[in-house]
Amino acid sequence: MLTKASSLSRLVGELKKLPGVGERTALRLAFHLLKSPQNLTTLAEALLEVRAKVRTCSTCFAITEDDPCTICSGRRDTGTICVVENSQDLMALERSNAYHGVYHVLEGAISPLAGVGPDALRISELLERIHRGGVNEVVIATNFSVEGEATALYLAKLLKSVNIKVSRLAHGIPLGSDIEFVDAATVQWALQGRNEL
Amino acid sequence: MHTEKLQAFTISTIDYGDSDRIVSLFTLEQGRLRAFARGARKSRKRFGAALEPFARIEVQVRIKEGLSGLVQADIHSIYPHIRNDLEKIAHALYACELVDSITAESQPLPRLYRLFAAYLDRLETAPAQEDERRFFEINLLNILGYRPALENCSRCGTSYNTRGAILLEGGELCCGPCAAPGRPLSDATLKNLQACLGTGTFGSIPLQPDVLIQAGALLDDAISAHTGRRLKSLNFLRQVSL
Repeated sequence: MLTKASSLSRLVGELKKLPGVGERTALRLAFHLLKSPQNLTTLAEALLEVRAKVRTCSTCFAITEDDPCTICSGRRDTGTICVVENSQDLMALERSNAYHGVYHVLEGAISPLAGVGPDALRISELLERIHRGGVNEVVIATNFSVEGEATALYLAKLLKSVNIKVSRLAHGIPLGSDIEFVDAATVQWALQGRNEL
Repeated sequence: MHTEKLQAFTISTIDYGDSDRIVSLFTLEQGRLRAFARGARKSRKRFGAALEPFARIEVQVRIKEGLSGLVQADIHSIYPHIRNDLEKIAHALYACELVDSITAESQPLPRLYRLFAAYLDRLETAPAQEDERRFFEINLLNILGYRPALENCSRCGTSYNTRGAILLEGGELCCGPCAAPGRPLSDATLKNLQACLGTGTFGSIPLQPDVLIQAGALLDDAISAHTGRRLKSLNFLRQVSL
């Protein structure tokens, strides 16, 4: 009999805390794990390993197992720093294979309506890295939301006094899409950022 | 329960669960209302940038008591020039938070809607100015019936004449004999604020630095008294205005 205090109830309760997992899904997952004890052990070990090994890089603040991370310690162009909001954004940029510089993770974005100001982000650490020298360009790759734009503009304002190039990722109509199906806001942005051919 | 098409501004959003959002809209027809935007986080295609703060949109809302349902949102403007300027973003977000926190739900306020739209239109085309923020605030307080007593003492009703007024805590204005210790407000400040109420055009009443300081103190106190808290976006606004 499944009681409130049972270990199975506890597992269901913990699984329910995960994003996208409700009561029924948690119960289904728990019973699935019970049916295959080997999977249960492997999962438990993986969770403990993640907890023991994963940390943030002390240079770029990306999620890593080694400090400094493989990007910061690898053969990358350390003269270019790409600023992202979080580690998931860093992974998306890495998947493109188009960027060969290093990163700086802000761990969020300025959100005045939520009371998140610049002091809550890793901006002072970015400035320290720049002041140490050797940086030629900062590529701002924050999201294209109002919060992301505010963060990008704030950084651009801060970096104006430092003699380095500050750039922003391009934005507009997605590759392979028909203009007739693109929303008005994206078309407004695309028109504003149009290029001469 | 019925569906209505409304002119609106998105003034704030809160994430709900894994894929949904609760959006606060300031509408021309119904005033401020909260709507449930199902799937807004999961799919950018469903609502796109329509749920970004200060986006001007046309929405179809399934009106219900409490929380309505957002059916569709079409963008009229996302104010691209505001989004390209840090100070303008700070002013626009402050205006959104002010309207969100000072208005009651489901109370049509067409005059305030037009004032809010005019302020965003002004920010889109001209640099963000402190005196235009104060112009917006005094007109907003006037429309909501919260206007400070600019002509006569709020306690004894006598005219200030040219003596100016005393600002008490909570944004209350009094004449000298009625007031406990407070900050004096010059005649010029009172006259300028009255002039702001006499025109609907942003930029028509430039405020001198000394007037701006006094008017700012009065309006900040009056707004805090009615919202019951200090607005979160005010810190960022002050930071970027320096």
